[in-house]
Amino acid sequence: MNGLIGNLSLGIAVLTAAGSLFAAAATVKFRSDRMLLWSRRLLYVLGLAITVGSAALMYALVNSDFHNAYVASYTERALPMGYKIAAFWAGQEGSLMLWALLLAGMAAIAAHGFRNRTRIEQSAMLGVLALVCGFFSALMLFAANPFVQLPVQAVDGRGLNPLLQDPYMIAHPPLLFVGYAGYTIPWAMLLAALISGRRDNQWIGSTRKWLMVSWVFLTVGIILGAKWAYIELGWGGYWAWDPVENASLLPWLTGTALLHSVMVQQHRGMFKVWNALLIASTFLLCIFGTYLTRSGVVQSVHSFGESLIGTFFLAFLCLCVLLSIVVLSKQRRLLKSEDAVQGMLTREGAFMALNVLLVLMTLATLVGTIFPLISGVVMPQPVTVGEEFYNKVVIPLSLVLLAVMSVGPLLTYGKGAAQQLIKSLILPGIAVVVGVVAALVLGMTNPWALACTAITVVAVCSVCVGLTRTVRQRRKIEDEGPLTATLRVIDGNHRRYGGQFVHMGVVMLMVGVAGSSLFGVEEDLTLEKGESKIVNGYTIKFGEIHQERHVNYLASSAHIDLTTPGGEVKTLHPEIRRYDKTEQPSAQVALNSTLARDAYVTLAGWGEGGSPVALQVFINPLIAWIWIGGIVMTLGAIFCLLPRLIKATAHAHASATTTTKHQSSPHATATVSLALAGEGQCDSQTQTTKTKQYAEAPK
Amino acid sequence: MTHVRMKMLVAGLVLIASVGYLAVAGVKSGWVYYLHVDDFVQDSSYQDRRVRLFGLVANENIEVAPELLTAKFDLRGESISIPVNYKGVVPDTFKPGGEVMVEGKLDEAGVFQADTLMTKCASKYQSEEHAKRLEEAQ
Repeated sequence: MNGLIGNLSLGIAVLTAAGSLFAAAATVKFRSDRMLLWSRRLLYVLGLAITVGSAALMYALVNSDFHNAYVASYTERALPMGYKIAAFWAGQEGSLMLWALLLAGMAAIAAHGFRNRTRIEQSAMLGVLALVCGFFSALMLFAANPFVQLPVQAVDGRGLNPLLQDPYMIAHPPLLFVGYAGYTIPWAMLLAALISGRRDNQWIGSTRKWLMVSWVFLTVGIILGAKWAYIELGWGGYWAWDPVENASLLPWLTGTALLHSVMVQQHRGMFKVWNALLIASTFLLCIFGTYLTRSGVVQSVHSFGESLIGTFFLAFLCLCVLLSIVVLSKQRRLLKSEDAVQGMLTREGAFMALNVLLVLMTLATLVGTIFPLISGVVMPQPVTVGEEFYNKVVIPLSLVLLAVMSVGPLLTYGKGAAQQLIKSLILPGIAVVVGVVAALVLGMTNPWALACTAITVVAVCSVCVGLTRTVRQRRKIEDEGPLTATLRVIDGNHRRYGGQFVHMGVVMLMVGVAGSSLFGVEEDLTLEKGESKIVNGYTIKFGEIHQERHVNYLASSAHIDLTTPGGEVKTLHPEIRRYDKTEQPSAQVALNSTLARDAYVTLAGWGEGGSPVALQVFINPLIAWIWIGGIVMTLGAIFCLLPRLIKATAHAHASATTTTKHQSSPHATATVSLALAGEGQCDSQTQTTKTKQYAEAPK
Repeated sequence: MTHVRMKMLVAGLVLIASVGYLAVAGVKSGWVYYLHVDDFVQDSSYQDRRVRLFGLVANENIEVAPELLTAKFDLRGESISIPVNYKGVVPDTFKPGGEVMVEGKLDEAGVFQADTLMTKCASKYQSEEHAKRLEEAQ
């Protein structure tokens, strides 16, 4: 019954997708609004069908319906409920189902939001969305069906892979899929705008929210994945440049570039070709990454069985690339820039540099990932480039990028930015000299570490300088205290200050990465009962091993007394778990984490009678800042998306209403420009362009 | 205007050139061959470099001492096998008959000294069991 419902809903999804696509084409051909209505309705039905299918799968999982092959392969009766639910995305079929569900939901929201667009723009968008949704539905129906029924019901399931039985793993994949699915919508909007021949820059504004949301989810997803790898995989690191990890990084890099360059198009009508290419490649990289990791073409530690899915993805990827190329090249006249970059040291110049750097990083990561494929063609034996390659190429590039990022907030659009920059760089300049000298005096000689110190200082100072300058200007006009003024300035420009908050998060992340990779220590220890050894200031003393029975596994845990360099004594329990349903043991890391450093201990094995034990000890300086940076980045990005929080004063009220939504009269526009004139040169310039746009566009 | 363009062009070229240089350097230092045991044994040209070898863990002659962080085993290909001496943490998923990847170099005695041992773990997305089940269901 469950299988029938599931298969039926997948079948309906494929049919409605085809119907929606057909109706969208008919809309254009017959200029029929009725067809348009049907195209949209069918897309909604598709969303409903996928929802029903997902509910059926979830029902089977939760109720341990072992008629279902997927349920039998990825769960067992004794599995805690949370992991039964998480098993939804633990396997190939289920994870595609989740992707399809998110995609169909977002497609419905986007289609709903597009109701007031022109007929041709709407139909193009609906057609593209139906195509992508249809692909995923067909993929599940024909190549990765989560509703395959077993001839005989299994007595018990095989259980979930122990590595996946971790709270971070529950959250990590769905977050990534929200990002992947979300990047489909801007692509559809781009194609729709080009096909319908839009010349204005308004449409790019509506992609921004989708880009932002997808970026947030992708960021959180990647960072949780890193955290999961750190806690669960037990090799002391969090990122291994594995193809699967790279696959999520690629769209993140282009997506990050997009968030910046979209603003330039919105405000200045520039970078149109860049944006079009970036939107298309971000979506295509999501598909490409999935193809790469699930088809088995690239050897990876997460080996994926070769399957039909790879062929499906490749064919779909080719189709999407072709579609993007045809539309972009046919309509390239719409992508002419309205202005030129006025100089290297301008805000648009910095955005340009940032775009180029991120694209180069994307290319380097891509080349590194598919190097075995490329080399396999020209050489008898495929060659892989290891971590070395990424460290040599991507790391220097990212440091240059971070340097641009750190001065970026001080730059203004257009001419005169350079002079302004020199003036505002005086304080950060002095601070950086002081900071680097101090670091040298304290004995830090590693050039990479010094570069990171310099970037950190400049980045923090730039934000402070920019903010105090704007606050001072505001206080000349408004009668406010410093705190009120600061809060109002920040609240008055969420995009700017949210963005800078994100930048601070990136700096923290950089500090964490640099600290742990440059100064991390690793040591393998063999300890007898009661013996202790010192690793990098930490004293590690082994007590004994004891066993404990849990719901679906048996844990052997070592009692370790850890004395920190500060003299505190902590007890750690690194474990080896033997899950009932898998023969393989699984190691559980024990961690003592502080802001300064982590002590990370894994149990590698033990001799007869529980002694001696082999321990792997990692001391990772500053690594906690990676996770803190991730949280700050997320909060900053959310802040960008929030509406104004503080109720505006009577004076500022005019600006609040006009810059949000309401149609502004010419009179109001003038007031706003005046009111904002105090907000610093750069801000007022962007704001006036914005108000001008609003004044032009009738509601 | 053209002046700005010129400057940007030069900056772009310098950037691309330096990235190209870094990429070549990176590829050179990160260069590792990916081989099957059989190919490795038959072709002597790989035997004095660092390589990544694929093969199966032979069922006999396994000596694992987790407390000493060592594992000695034979890595088996289709027709030939070579002894491997691995030093490091033995992964949880290491087992006789399992597919593994080792990275290291051959020593004079003909023993492959490995410092990396990775098991091809059951994939995150497709377990072998599941594939079998699907076949049965067909």
